[in-house]
Amino acid sequence: MQLSTSPDPTARISIRGLSKFYKDYLALDRIDLDISKGEKIVVLGPSGSGKSTFIRCLNRIEPHDSGVLMIDGHVIDDRTDLTALRGSVGMVFQNYNLFPHLSVLDNCTLAPRLVRGITKSDAEATARRYLSQVNIAEQAEKFPIQLSGGQQQRVAIARALCMNPEIILFDEPTAALDPESISGIVGIMRDLADQGITTVCVTHEMGFARHIADRIVFMDRGAVLEVTPPEEFFTAPRTERARTFLAQMIRH
Amino acid sequence: MLAAALLALAVLLPAARALADDLPSFVHDGQLTLCTNPTLPPMTFVNGSDTNALAGMDIDLARRLAAYWHVALIPQTMDFEGLFPSLSAQRCGMVISGVLRQAGRLRNYDAVAYLDSTVVAVARVGTPKIREMADLSGQTVAVQSGTSYAAQIERENDRLRASGRPPIILQQYPTEDQVVQQVLIGRVHAFISQDVELYYRQKQLGGKVTIILTPDYPDFHQFAVYIRKDSRDSALLQKAIDELSQKGEIAAMAKKWGISGDHQSVFTERNAPSRFDFATFFGALFSTAFLKGAALTLVIALLSHLTAIAISIPMAMKLNGRDSIIRRLLGLYVAVFRGAPTLLQLLFIWNALPQFFPIFREHWFTPFLATWLSLSINESAYQVEINRAALRAVDPGQVLAADALGMTTAQTYRHVIFPQALRIALPPTINEFISLLKTTSLASVISLQELLAVTQIQVARTFQFTEYYAAALVYYLAMVFFFLFLQKRIERRFIWADRNKASADAA
Repeated sequence: MQLSTSPDPTARISIRGLSKFYKDYLALDRIDLDISKGEKIVVLGPSGSGKSTFIRCLNRIEPHDSGVLMIDGHVIDDRTDLTALRGSVGMVFQNYNLFPHLSVLDNCTLAPRLVRGITKSDAEATARRYLSQVNIAEQAEKFPIQLSGGQQQRVAIARALCMNPEIILFDEPTAALDPESISGIVGIMRDLADQGITTVCVTHEMGFARHIADRIVFMDRGAVLEVTPPEEFFTAPRTERARTFLAQMIRH
Repeated sequence: MLAAALLALAVLLPAARALADDLPSFVHDGQLTLCTNPTLPPMTFVNGSDTNALAGMDIDLARRLAAYWHVALIPQTMDFEGLFPSLSAQRCGMVISGVLRQAGRLRNYDAVAYLDSTVVAVARVGTPKIREMADLSGQTVAVQSGTSYAAQIERENDRLRASGRPPIILQQYPTEDQVVQQVLIGRVHAFISQDVELYYRQKQLGGKVTIILTPDYPDFHQFAVYIRKDSRDSALLQKAIDELSQKGEIAAMAKKWGISGDHQSVFTERNAPSRFDFATFFGALFSTAFLKGAALTLVIALLSHLTAIAISIPMAMKLNGRDSIIRRLLGLYVAVFRGAPTLLQLLFIWNALPQFFPIFREHWFTPFLATWLSLSINESAYQVEINRAALRAVDPGQVLAADALGMTTAQTYRHVIFPQALRIALPPTINEFISLLKTTSLASVISLQELLAVTQIQVARTFQFTEYYAAALVYYLAMVFFFLFLQKRIERRFIWADRNKASADAA
């Protein structure tokens, strides 16, 4: 698939020549990518390939240094209203990063109340709805420390959902989970796509990538080497680097 | 009309100037300020449980001088060592505090004598009399620090060493009552003081101690009023004292306070040795003086710590941040104020600061403000390290999560970082506060009437040190236990950090 040189304003996310430096180190190397509404993108690649940096650029937790990032036709740069951007692009982390001093319910209502100015009762109603969607409504009054890893990750997803985002970024969401919890999270992520939410997920979980992704983005050394449907990627990778990567993954 | 007013002014002005000509320069704004250390009865002490009610020969003289110059007397109490620094810092116009007229002090200050006195060496009853100070060779002797007795004993020691004999071992204590106590409890052989003090202490000391020597030291014959060097002021003060002396007023004051008669017959009166006196103990415990002292201790500690916390939070955030000039300056601030003794900082702010900035010798700069200022600065240097550690202990992922939810930096600190840092900072902070509560006792050196200052003043008056120390202890312990209890209560709110407790609470 050949992309045009200018970004596509009709895509949910359109990226052209996106680069990022840490001092002299090139972390992201001229990435081009279009992601359409409701798409499930999985980013694969060896450690240090720039996957996490890449998705952190999408909500500007890490600002990019050059290139164009466009979300719903709006250029994201240093003049962008970050509050609005982060309202429409949610994020879920590997270590959940729940607020330990707040109950599950308060974790879900804090940002909507502070950032969006939603009343407590409205925020709680929304939170309870999403908590039931991720099947932990009964844990609403507990503190994060009382929950298992899988349960905490569901709360983290519910917390992101409470901001009503159009896009959710997942930064290795299952890396700290046991296989049983992983399948639960996979189910939830599938539901998100059905609701029209675009997901971009960094993972090392091959089965997960295979079953959930609409397209696989394969990265190495800050550059995107392949963008292909999962069947093609896993059976007939186009680049030598992807073949080595897959061989190593399967061996482990 | 205007002419009449000018005429009236012309008549009044020379009169006003004539009056001003008669006033020493240390009397101004209608006030005569006095520095005194009220722990030396009957010269200067607190007679009763109200620590503001000064009494004694020196206080009467100061009042009479103020009346003589038609101004108000403003007394300030402080530790003996603080008297001359305060005089130099222009915190007061004169020092009357049972201070002897001595050549050494005359180099820096002017002095006018007002009362004759004799130096005495006192030991426990039954101790044989001695012929000269050299007979105390090898013995331990207590004196009040800041007094000239120490220098005198050093001169004796030089002679002793020259003749190959062991020197007199010297111990110095901040208040006269502690000096006497050392003899009473038998730690030291003798104490050196002036006969006038013994007249007053007859009741408390009768039957317990005896005068073993009245050495003839030329420098120890007269009590004097000290002022800053100024020949005109000195002459005016001499004139005033001479007039009062001629009218017999000074002799009358001395008589009023029992300063007369033969010092050898002082200790004829005998008292039964006292045990722990519960009436005194409970009297002290429920006295307004102790209550006020404890309240002052609590208020100054709370205010200082709150101020320290308020300034140390932004400091900690800056110190945890990127390297900058400000960060380095803050690092220096922390090093200096943690490094220098708290007592030194108090003394510096109270006595040295006015020499650089005259504004700090004005009346608004009270011992309370000075203590608040020094303890806040001092405590902030300790608190900042607690805050830094607590802020650092919060997982950076928390900031990332708050960021990703669109929260502002202020919202992130207020709702995410501070509540978590508080849990980590609370136990060491309460620890610091308890330490600070006790550090406030240092402020007695700059005349703050906190709990320990009140205690010492009462002990100086009555010599019932066990009872008053016990009362002070009760207050300190009560305050500390209250804050430990408070800590436990607050920690209950942090169940979120403990899986078992959180689960137990839910069940």
